[in-house]
Amino acid sequence: MIRRRIHDDGPPVPASVRIARLAFTIFALAFVLLPIAWLALGSLKTRNQALALPPQLIFTPSFDAYSAIVAKGFLGAFQNSLIIALSNVVLTLLLGTPAAYALARMTGKAQDNLSFWVISVRMAPVFAVILPLYVLFKALGLLDTRVAVSLAHLTLTLPLAVWMLLTYFRSIPEELDQAAMLDGAGPLQILLYIIVPIARPMLASVAIVVFIFSWNEFLLAFVLTARGAQTVPVAVASLAGTMSFDWPLIAAVSICSMIPALIFVGFAQRHIVAGLASGAVK
Amino acid sequence: MLKMLNRAALAATLTAGLTAGLMAATAPARAETTVNIVGFGAGFAWADLFGPSGTEKTQKLLDFEKKEGITVNMEYADEEVARQKVLLDLVNGTGNYDLVMLGSDGAVQTFSAAGYLEPLDGHLDKAKDYFDAAKVYKPFLEANTVDGKLWALPYYSFGPGVVYRKDIFDKYGITTFPKTTEEMEAALKTIKAGLAKDGITDVYPLTMRGAPGEEPSLDLAGFVFAFAGYPAWFEGGATTPAEIKAKKAKPIFTGDFKKGFETFVNWAKDYGPPGIATHTWVDMMNLYGQGKAVVLLPSAINGFAGIPGSEVPAVKQFSAYGPSPIGPSGKPIESFWTFSVGVSNFSKDKDAAYKVLAFMTSEPVMEDFATQIGWPYTTYPSIMHGPVLTAKWPKETLDGVEAAFISADPHYFPYIPELNEFMDKIGTAASEAIAGTKTTDEALAELQSWAEERMERAGYYK
Amino acid sequence: MAIFNDWRFWFVVPMVLALGTVVLFPSGYLVWMSLTHWIVTDPERYFDGVGNFRVLFRSADFTSAVWVTLVYLVASTALMVAFAMGLALALSAPRTPSALRSIVIMPLVIPPVVAGFTWRFLMNGEMGFLGAFLLPGLGLKMNMLADPTGAMISVVIADVWSRAPFMFLIFLAAMQSIPRDYYEAIRLDGANVFQEFLHVTLPMIRPAVVVALLFRVIDAINTFELIYVMTKGGPGRATQTLALFGWKSAFQRFDFGLAAALGVVMVVVTTVCASIAYRRFLRPAT
Repeated sequence: MIRRRIHDDGPPVPASVRIARLAFTIFALAFVLLPIAWLALGSLKTRNQALALPPQLIFTPSFDAYSAIVAKGFLGAFQNSLIIALSNVVLTLLLGTPAAYALARMTGKAQDNLSFWVISVRMAPVFAVILPLYVLFKALGLLDTRVAVSLAHLTLTLPLAVWMLLTYFRSIPEELDQAAMLDGAGPLQILLYIIVPIARPMLASVAIVVFIFSWNEFLLAFVLTARGAQTVPVAVASLAGTMSFDWPLIAAVSICSMIPALIFVGFAQRHIVAGLASGAVK
Repeated sequence: MLKMLNRAALAATLTAGLTAGLMAATAPARAETTVNIVGFGAGFAWADLFGPSGTEKTQKLLDFEKKEGITVNMEYADEEVARQKVLLDLVNGTGNYDLVMLGSDGAVQTFSAAGYLEPLDGHLDKAKDYFDAAKVYKPFLEANTVDGKLWALPYYSFGPGVVYRKDIFDKYGITTFPKTTEEMEAALKTIKAGLAKDGITDVYPLTMRGAPGEEPSLDLAGFVFAFAGYPAWFEGGATTPAEIKAKKAKPIFTGDFKKGFETFVNWAKDYGPPGIATHTWVDMMNLYGQGKAVVLLPSAINGFAGIPGSEVPAVKQFSAYGPSPIGPSGKPIESFWTFSVGVSNFSKDKDAAYKVLAFMTSEPVMEDFATQIGWPYTTYPSIMHGPVLTAKWPKETLDGVEAAFISADPHYFPYIPELNEFMDKIGTAASEAIAGTKTTDEALAELQSWAEERMERAGYYK
Repeated sequence: MAIFNDWRFWFVVPMVLALGTVVLFPSGYLVWMSLTHWIVTDPERYFDGVGNFRVLFRSADFTSAVWVTLVYLVASTALMVAFAMGLALALSAPRTPSALRSIVIMPLVIPPVVAGFTWRFLMNGEMGFLGAFLLPGLGLKMNMLADPTGAMISVVIADVWSRAPFMFLIFLAAMQSIPRDYYEAIRLDGANVFQEFLHVTLPMIRPAVVVALLFRVIDAINTFELIYVMTKGGPGRATQTLALFGWKSAFQRFDFGLAAALGVVMVVVTTVCASIAYRRFLRPAT
């Protein structure tokens, strides 16, 4: 992938602009980091320290909350979240990649209506679809399975994936397809051996976005499953609901909940940017 | 090189995810009799049975399972989500949950009317070893009685009261505990003036809850009861669908309801913390526990919840309990609730389900609960005067709490199927009036016209 | 039929089937529910025509929720676009440490429920770092959760915090893919940085902006957890959006018919608006 940068050796940017940019960056970092720092600090405090004002910045850190995570069996929630999010990634990519490719190679009304239909799937509010989905999965006998959750999450992730991939695939010249076709390759082979290798960074980005959306979603994940399928957001919410308001524990679980997703995002941050960027390279 | 690794890692995670997903899809088959429950508060509710994490069965539970040949499965969740799961299960008659958690402030009334619950009267004699109705405080059963039938057994329950800081009362010269709402308001006024004079800005005379939704309604209905002297929601104080239908009793939210509503709103505004219009019981508890509130009423239990974890010495040392103030009508500000559990009408084995329920609300279980939380609240008189609580609390506190249980009228609000909607509407109206987006009169006028239309639509006045 | 010989058909079919299963039945069911008198408090369930819609349109909750949703939608989207655009411009400069980008996208991996709890605690008027310490210290007396305006501002800020990183990523990617020659060309004409932004950057990233906006608007209309956790829609109904009202109707007031009617209204309105936006901005092969 060719990565180009703006302003590489352009005319000098006026000092005022540079100062404004610096100021904005500092403000943005403070804004973004404040709640995260609050969580991180809170997870190392005791319940009363966390509630104290003015906030205590110097205190003896306590790792009780973190050991409580292990003791209280929250690791199970992490496992559930991981399984649900990962299987959703797989399903979304398997279904979305061929579809997006086909849509990218279509023209006219069919393409138009289909891609709009795909995005329109996201438009139903959750409160309105929970009951119908429940009835559907009950009828299909899929209630309390992770398959049901993955299917339900598809309504959130598939439209996003298809749209991200669609714009990307369009930017891959059709001449490539045609050349392969002359060599006797079929559409599936072209997709597998030509398009997918080129699109790998983009696919990685989509995988990450899908992972995050699925990881963060909690209502559907919880309502459609029963015992033992508690996901991380649900675990956090249930903590806040007990009679103790254990902020350090809530904070610790939240911080831990970021770790798997951060690892996923971290190693692919470059892919996201490179992938999304290459989407529009002509 | 790194890139290769990344790709390999990605591929590996994807494969792992797929296999894991497939494996997860195949659930183990069920054997023998199982009873499924959904509840909230892992490590809080029934920690003596499901452990501090809510996932490991204790010996006590295993013994029960072995003795009765029943496997008990508990599913803990966030309260809101758990309620939603219960509702979906019941509405669709799924029968996934044999025991469902309810509350005496709406769920019992609605679900019993909808035919989702099994009446328990016929079961009471079948598991007397576990649950004997004669041994618990009567009002907690009355609270779960609708239309003459018992629909649920009480677990965690409370009555009204005041938790307050004796040291601050003394400091501002309030030496006799205010017994009436008038005296209480005078005391709050004195405290407010005193705090202001001393330049204390982060301690508030009063903490209550004013978040929109059903949250404030339980307490607010208590104010209405104290000021009107009866559940002043419908003409003539009608509290059951039959009464309302017979008398064609119209809502009276702009009538006798008003005084109590207004007092609740004014106290919240004048003496409460600035954020009270979005406060829930968690905020009440935290404020009191952090020593930032002098009086907590009428759901005193939220004060007791805040005391044990507090690190403010004065909170631990000088907190005291007093009876809920008596309104002009002679009735106290009520606040009465039970977290109760019922048997689903769609359960495949209702007898087994009841047996588990009786066990889960039995004396030994409630005693362990009292040991664990240590608040002066329990459903059994024997536990109230037993070694666990008497070791922790002065006799007058326990007697006071008990007196509030016994004298309580659980039906201080109407028992109609629409109760949930009314609780939600009333609480939201209060929140609006406290926040000042509406005046009390505007909020009540809107409530009144909504209620008239709602009751009309439900066919009460045909 | 020719269509069965077209490979593109077979490539699209699995997706359409998968989405179809999860979408078609629920849609039909939803419409049926919206025409049914179905409220748990009343054992009778029957066909009620447009009865639910009539009740819905006449309820004060609905009118207030429409306004609240509009205010929330416009305010949060405008702020979010501005913030994300600012970030993308600031961090697309050469030699920007990539660690900065990683930090900026961290909120993306925090579930909205958690974000809601954190901001609720931060903004708490008696015990929160911002609400009870920093903001009053700066002379701001407004209670950030219990004042109607303050609550709306808090919810919008939390939402921008939580969702802007995704928009930032899309903007950043679009900006980085603009060929350098375009900037060189306009520079030769003596353009300054603002003109560059106006005449090169903005037109080039327009498709990305429109797609991001489309997804954003849909998300904003359906935002639930974040607001629910922070304010429960309060004080009063000051932050009760349509999504919260629908939730309440179904799961706290047990009126499934009314909730379904609201769901139908929301889907129809969103679809019509999105379709106009789609046809107006996106259709010409982007």
